[in-house]
Amino acid sequence: MSLPTTDNPESAAPARVVVTELSKRFGVVQAVDRLSFVVEPGQVTGFLGPNGAGKTTTLRMALGLITPDSGSTTYGGIAYSALPQPSLRVGAVLETAFHPGRNGRNHLRVYCAAAGLPEERADAVLAQVGMTDAGRRKTGGYSLGMRQRLGLATALLGDPQVLILDEPANGLDPEGIQWLRNFLQHLAHDQGRTILVSSHLLSEVQQTVDRIVIIAGGKLVREGTIAELADPARASVHLRSPNAASLREALVGAGAQVETLSAEELTVRGMPIAAIGHLAFTTGVELHELRTATTDLEEIYFRLTAGQEEFKATPLPEATVAEVSS
Amino acid sequence: MIRLIRSELRKLFSTKLWLWLLLGACGLSGASTALLIGFADQAAAAPQSGVPPLGSDAFAQLALAGGANAVVFFLILGIIGMTQEYRHRTATPTFLVTPKRGKVVLSKLITYLGVSLLFAVVVNVIVVAVALPWLSAQGAPVSLSGDNLEVVLGAIGGGALYGMVGVGVGALLRNQVAAIVGALIYLFVAEPILRSVPATASAYKYLPGGTLESITATTVNTDLLLRWQGALLLTAYGMVLAIAGWVFAVRRDIS
Repeated sequence: MSLPTTDNPESAAPARVVVTELSKRFGVVQAVDRLSFVVEPGQVTGFLGPNGAGKTTTLRMALGLITPDSGSTTYGGIAYSALPQPSLRVGAVLETAFHPGRNGRNHLRVYCAAAGLPEERADAVLAQVGMTDAGRRKTGGYSLGMRQRLGLATALLGDPQVLILDEPANGLDPEGIQWLRNFLQHLAHDQGRTILVSSHLLSEVQQTVDRIVIIAGGKLVREGTIAELADPARASVHLRSPNAASLREALVGAGAQVETLSAEELTVRGMPIAAIGHLAFTTGVELHELRTATTDLEEIYFRLTAGQEEFKATPLPEATVAEVSS
Repeated sequence: MIRLIRSELRKLFSTKLWLWLLLGACGLSGASTALLIGFADQAAAAPQSGVPPLGSDAFAQLALAGGANAVVFFLILGIIGMTQEYRHRTATPTFLVTPKRGKVVLSKLITYLGVSLLFAVVVNVIVVAVALPWLSAQGAPVSLSGDNLEVVLGAIGGGALYGMVGVGVGALLRNQVAAIVGALIYLFVAEPILRSVPATASAYKYLPGGTLESITATTVNTDLLLRWQGALLLTAYGMVLAIAGWVFAVRRDIS
């Protein structure tokens, strides 16, 4: 992908984003609680957490839109509000809202003017996100996917070294998600940019990101590379066997943690799948199924989202069920 | 600052709002002048109407002051210019590009002062174009000089300043509907009450509506500030509102 870019001297230097001890309280809610993490150049970092975890508040604090109670965020060592030309260093999409009566191209030209960029950048970034034709239409008629693309185009105007995107896959169709994935990976891996992408859906970012920062209740839960957190060798293993009881004994004897799901089904942790297969073979136990169940990352995330009271479903009263089924 | 003003101009002229407000301002001003002249005969037949007789200096000034009826459109223009950033949530990208939010407010003050000045010129050119030929045709020609010219320049200056005051009101209130409704109720309900109550009547000339009147007034009215005093005080109102807006509203979290 060869793209027209600005001669942006600011964007030449790779920039780390360092979030240090950020805290913010809204009334009785501690939205963000002494949160620290680092976003490295050349990688796509996922910023993951259930709804209400404090992701958007963190990003808005990092970009100077919300004043933190304490803590700081720096880009190559400088706070956002102290950057001489922030659009040339950091591009961010926090909002997919635009003036409905303004067309996409003019929306971009408004910010070209404010950032002191040539107006041709508006057309260049529209092309970059595949919106050249739609740019002439009013944003009031845009789909959510088009809004996401126009938001991304706005962030790209200054050809920044750092990109911060809040839920950029929201509203994109599968093709759009695939496009976004390739686009972000290209910007990070081939161009060495620093990219932070938030999401509340693990599946959405798992294949896009290199590193992941998981927060819940405003606190850091886990931080690491996908390779570490989603290592299949450390995943739990699901197996089915008519002789589950004797295999269980052998597995426990070998130091694995075993959970009995039913008379024939076990979940095994702490032992690689190949070692489990080998143990079954040497102990002469018949296997009907042996597969990787969930990775470390999936387990962490499921535990986090399962605890969310606000999304707990209430079972239907029996009368209603009967009516529906009759 | 030049960049930010250019950005504000781009914002304004890339939607249709300016056109509707300008048409409204031209229509209202032109119509008020046209109605005054067109019905001058009936007004003369009913002396209690308070309309001065056709051919008098006072009548000529009243006809030329049609543009003063449109200043409220510039107030609304300024209010919308500021509050639409919140209404359409474009405050986020605007303050991302320009983290020093005071500069954004300042650029809007300058932009809307300038745009309102330009629009007020257009409005008053229309008023003059309606009034001068028609009055000549009625056998009461007037010249655009002296007090007559002052009336027209006052309507232009008042319009320009109200555009700037609108930005200040919008910065303080942020909510577009509340800002417009609040400003109109203040000007058309609250101030007339203050003016009619003897205890507060003498303060009227120092209030925003009173200062505007001192700028746009014809010789009909008396207990007002001088034009330049009114203009200075109205400018101060715009500045104080904008600074208060910046301190108490614009600096708050954008979430």
